[in-house]
Amino acid sequence: MSCPNLSASVRAYVDRELTGFDRQAVEQHLAGCPSCARQVHLEGRFKAAVRAHLPRPEVPLALKLRVKEVLGTQEIAPRRWPWLSYPRLVPAAAAFLLIVGITSTVRQSQSMVLEQAQRSYHAEMPMDITGSDCGLIASWFRGRVDFPVHAPALGGGATCQGGRLVNVGERPAAYLLYRGPTGHRVALLVFDPRDQAFDGPERRVVNGREIYLGSGPGISTATYRDRGLGYVVTADLDEEALTRLVTTSFGH
Amino acid sequence: MKRRPLAVDFEREALPHLSALYAAGLRMTRNEKDAEDLVQDTLLRAYRFFDTFQAGTNCKAWLFRILTNVFCNNYRDREREHVVLTEAESSPANLEQFVGGGGADGRDVETALLGRMVSGDVEKALAAVPSDFRMAVILADLEDFSYKEIAEIMDCPAGTVMSRLFRGRKILQGLLHDYAVEQGIIQSQPQLSEGDGVAPVDMAAYRRRRDQGRGSGQGQGEAG
Repeated sequence: MSCPNLSASVRAYVDRELTGFDRQAVEQHLAGCPSCARQVHLEGRFKAAVRAHLPRPEVPLALKLRVKEVLGTQEIAPRRWPWLSYPRLVPAAAAFLLIVGITSTVRQSQSMVLEQAQRSYHAEMPMDITGSDCGLIASWFRGRVDFPVHAPALGGGATCQGGRLVNVGERPAAYLLYRGPTGHRVALLVFDPRDQAFDGPERRVVNGREIYLGSGPGISTATYRDRGLGYVVTADLDEEALTRLVTTSFGH
Repeated sequence: MKRRPLAVDFEREALPHLSALYAAGLRMTRNEKDAEDLVQDTLLRAYRFFDTFQAGTNCKAWLFRILTNVFCNNYRDREREHVVLTEAESSPANLEQFVGGGGADGRDVETALLGRMVSGDVEKALAAVPSDFRMAVILADLEDFSYKEIAEIMDCPAGTVMSRLFRGRKILQGLLHDYAVEQGIIQSQPQLSEGDGVAPVDMAAYRRRRDQGRGSGQGQGEAG
């Protein structure tokens, strides 16, 4: 057995991910720990042996021809700001962009949250943890995100399905998947709301709490704050049904 | 017709990665026709949006990010994904069985499990790894992307890359072991619960092991 608290570093070492001090520290450990040294040796050989068994297949000639043919008929999209190439317009454009940039930073970070929520919902990525025990799924995120994750009881007897670690901007966030009573998939993105603005096309106040409703292709979203955390609920439900689902959780 | 300079850049920057894209596409979709469509779709999108690619940055990683997106949106085999994910996975064989105990000379690799398997077995085992984990293994072990690059390609934190990669390799080892048993390279498998409460990797593998257990009776440890 290799040393459990070092296994992640040892694996990163095998993958040549460590540099400088981190690398030296692992090498120093390996020099005095035969079991970790052996693990590094075996992991390296396993990787090499698998790779040797999996050479790149030859690209079919038909594909090469198809690619050439298709690209020959396509246009690269024009540069989105072609007028920036006119020197006289550059200072004015830069000043304009600076002003717009400052005033819209907050709005952009909000759309980043919604974008992540919608992307995760549509991509249907497999979960990092699966199961119906909401508490167990929430506790899986301990140490993986910088805040305590709580899986709220959503209305109508929605049951937990799993959880997946995602990113909102640079920060890790928790993505929880529920199955609604009528079989709808309901996803909950729990994120650190620092630097994030809360707004949306429609603002409602339910039980004294603000909810921002929005929609994407075939889905609705509800964004709200609870006990210092931000939440986006996404589901293929209409806004009314989604609001009912969310507001039930406020009583818990 | 006069060629646009961007199109020339695209040919120079992107097309050299065609074989890497096709190899990954084939291993992700698991069939040649889908792989060709996936790669064509990827290159087409990359071409259309080539103006958003920043010259001098890593074009291969940019292309793989597009490939991953297209794959997730259009080709992921959703039916299969649902049965595959359980909490723990582990190989019933240990690493030493795969690569030999090993002096540094590597002479005993031929007698070890991987030394006696053919590429087709390894391809089949890799194909049975769930797609997120398979992608991590392909990107890291076959295409040499760093954790940071894989995090960008797969749109997840670097910590998740590490865990997917580790789990992906473990699942691969479990499946390789299964194929070795199936092919008669080793005679039987040890008990599943070696110490850490191992659950089967996926239902197909679980059923295979269960059925083989019924068929072959008690195993006597493996050769090699």
